[in-house]
Amino acid sequence: MKIVVCAKLAPDASDIEVRSDGSISLDRAEWRIGSFDLQAIEAAVRLRDAHGGSVTALSAGPQRINHSKLRKDLLSRGPDELVLVAEDVLNGADTAVTAQVLAAAVRKIGAVDLVLTGEGSADLYFQQVGLQLGELLEVPAFNAVSKIEVKDSGVRIERSLEEETEVLELPLPAVLAVTTDIHTPRLPNMKEILLAAKKPVYEWSLADLELENAPEPRVEAVSLRAPRPVERKRILIEGSPEEAAQSLAGYLVKEGVV
Amino acid sequence: MTDDKDVWVFSEKPALQAELIAGAHQLSANTGGQVAAVVLGARSQAEQAFDLGAQRVLWLGELPSGRLVEDIVPTLVAAVQDKCPFGVIIGATVRGRAVAGRLAARLGVAALADVLEFQWDGSALLARHMVFGGGAVRIDRPLASPVIATIGQGIFETGSLQAQPKGEIEPLPWVEPPWQAAVIERRSRAVSSVNLSAAKRVVCPGRGVARQEDLGLIEELAQALSAEMACTRPLAEGLGWLPRERYIGISGAMIKPDLYLGVGVSGQAQHTIGMSESRVVVAINKDRGAPLMTQSDYAVEGDLYQVVPALIRALKARKAK
Ligand SMILES: Cc1cc2nc3c(=O)[nH]c(=O)nc-3n(C[C@H](O)[C@H](O)[C@H](O)COP(=O)(O)OP(=O)(O)OC[C@H]3O[C@@H](n4cnc5c(N)ncnc54)[C@H](O)[C@@H]3O)c2cc1C
Ligand SMILES: Cc1cc2nc3c(=O)[nH]c(=O)nc-3n(C[C@H](O)[C@H](O)[C@H](O)COP(=O)(O)OP(=O)(O)OC[C@H]3O[C@@H](n4cnc5c(N)ncnc54)[C@H](O)[C@@H]3O)c2cc1C
Repeated sequence: MKIVVCAKLAPDASDIEVRSDGSISLDRAEWRIGSFDLQAIEAAVRLRDAHGGSVTALSAGPQRINHSKLRKDLLSRGPDELVLVAEDVLNGADTAVTAQVLAAAVRKIGAVDLVLTGEGSADLYFQQVGLQLGELLEVPAFNAVSKIEVKDSGVRIERSLEEETEVLELPLPAVLAVTTDIHTPRLPNMKEILLAAKKPVYEWSLADLELENAPEPRVEAVSLRAPRPVERKRILIEGSPEEAAQSLAGYLVKEGVV
Repeated sequence: MTDDKDVWVFSEKPALQAELIAGAHQLSANTGGQVAAVVLGARSQAEQAFDLGAQRVLWLGELPSGRLVEDIVPTLVAAVQDKCPFGVIIGATVRGRAVAGRLAARLGVAALADVLEFQWDGSALLARHMVFGGGAVRIDRPLASPVIATIGQGIFETGSLQAQPKGEIEPLPWVEPPWQAAVIERRSRAVSSVNLSAAKRVVCPGRGVARQEDLGLIEELAQALSAEMACTRPLAEGLGWLPRERYIGISGAMIKPDLYLGVGVSGQAQHTIGMSESRVVVAINKDRGAPLMTQSDYAVEGDLYQVVPALIRALKARKAK
């Protein structure tokens, strides 16, 4: 089985700096693999280990995702190879553009049976790319997939909906966005980290994907700001547990909440 | 009749559909068009959409057994291409996200995900949503038409809308999907009946709680406060100690109780965005530098295993008085 797993390399949201005017800087943020994409990688690697075949990791984004540490981090989690589409021209690409770029890359990889994505990216979390990708590839696409079993005719999947679990069978190829509890992602061990350095990395440009023109953006970000902070009293209560508890209980009564 | 000013709404959940109809009126007031409900279900449900404030009803019929809600995508694509509405607003459930993403891809646009508010800037539409796990607010301007957006529960209020005169129900011709998933089974999940957003007081344990057994202690605190139990995401997803319906945050419940008490919660933006509008915020944490400690009204520095039992005793003693 030939599996592609899509992972977004993105700035770590916990490194956001809020400037005094409320604008936001990500300049000092560390870039990482999306925390919810790790589960997709784990699911892909387990399917390969059980059924044979290969796993290709795929990531698109600005130039800076083509970084040795990020490459190694991705490959040490088990994929056999990595495809990067790293071009600054598409800075701040929207979901439609991203899905088009990924679709072109999946076509170029060729003869792919299954594409896995995370539930949502760590930064924007629009939970859209997998579905758009499936539609562009004209194959079945499902989100909220919490279990994948390979059957002769295709796959049997479980989906975690709001109030029910749905079991479906679908033909391959397909694109599946997996939930965060599908598997606990592994921590790479030393052997895999060393092995990662030897695995192939393919760097494709948009021209390689026969996307001569950068796809047109469909959405323009007009502003990005920190949410207005809510004023809080910020009373620090210290002391022995008994004293602290008495003091807090007193405040809670005064606030009228007990 | 041209429909290019009309706003369509779809949700497979009737309660959410009703909210979207109300919200769509804010949009159609600016586009100068009508609100059309796209209804999947019995004819009576289609009729009812007029009572909820829809000016037009586009009827998909009832879903044949063994079909998925998602199978409406090709029908919707054809209808949108035929009638060219200004936009389609879709309820942000799991199925709704799937419908929106696939519809957007087929129409060559990007879906605006989890919109919190629409604004008008002269003649252009702007959509506000949260990014970076609640760490930032982004305002997006769609550049392509139609506008496809998903909106969650509780964003728009129903109620103020007048029922519309019952018009003609317009059936949408069914388009067979190119592929088909076979439905093998549906199991309802034991969904706790908790309605966190209605709770006046909420106690929220985080990963500072070391073992599942220790949740009993937090439960006891919740009882002493007559509070509902919530949790952070890792306790529900990953550890699986509490049902998913109980976690607060960007991907969970959004709450505004009178009291939020976080016990062993660090306070990452993805979590605090779901509770930042609480009236009184209390944190118990052994690390005074934890983000939640600096964003609360009362920050108790200490080990929860000592502070919580003491707090239960203090609350009980006050009650007994
Ligand atoms: C050439 C290029 C340049 C880009 N430049 C930037 C930039 O400067 N800043 C920035 O923040 N973003 C950039 N992006 C990423 C893009 O903005 C987002 O990926 C897109 O908006 C998707 O939205 P989301 O993150 O909410 O994805 P979601 O829909 O939440 O993601 C769902 C899943 O789709 C997969 N996925 C999403 N995006 C990618 C990706 N890019 N590569 C591989 N898999 C993916 C992951 O498996 C993820 O879990 C760029 C993308 C491309 C193609
Ligand atoms: C895209 C995305 C979406 C997310 N959505 C959500 C969401 O909706 N909701 C959500 O909650 N999270 C969400 N998260 C996860 C979020 O980023 C945090 O990881 C999570 O909220 C942290 O949970 P926590 O506070 O329980 O744990 P931790 O961050 O591990 O904090 C535990 C705290 O307990 C304290 N502590 C430890 N022991 C004790 C003790 N004995 N006594 C007192 N204090 C103690 C520690 O000092 C620490 O501050 C999301 C993440 C991503 C990437």
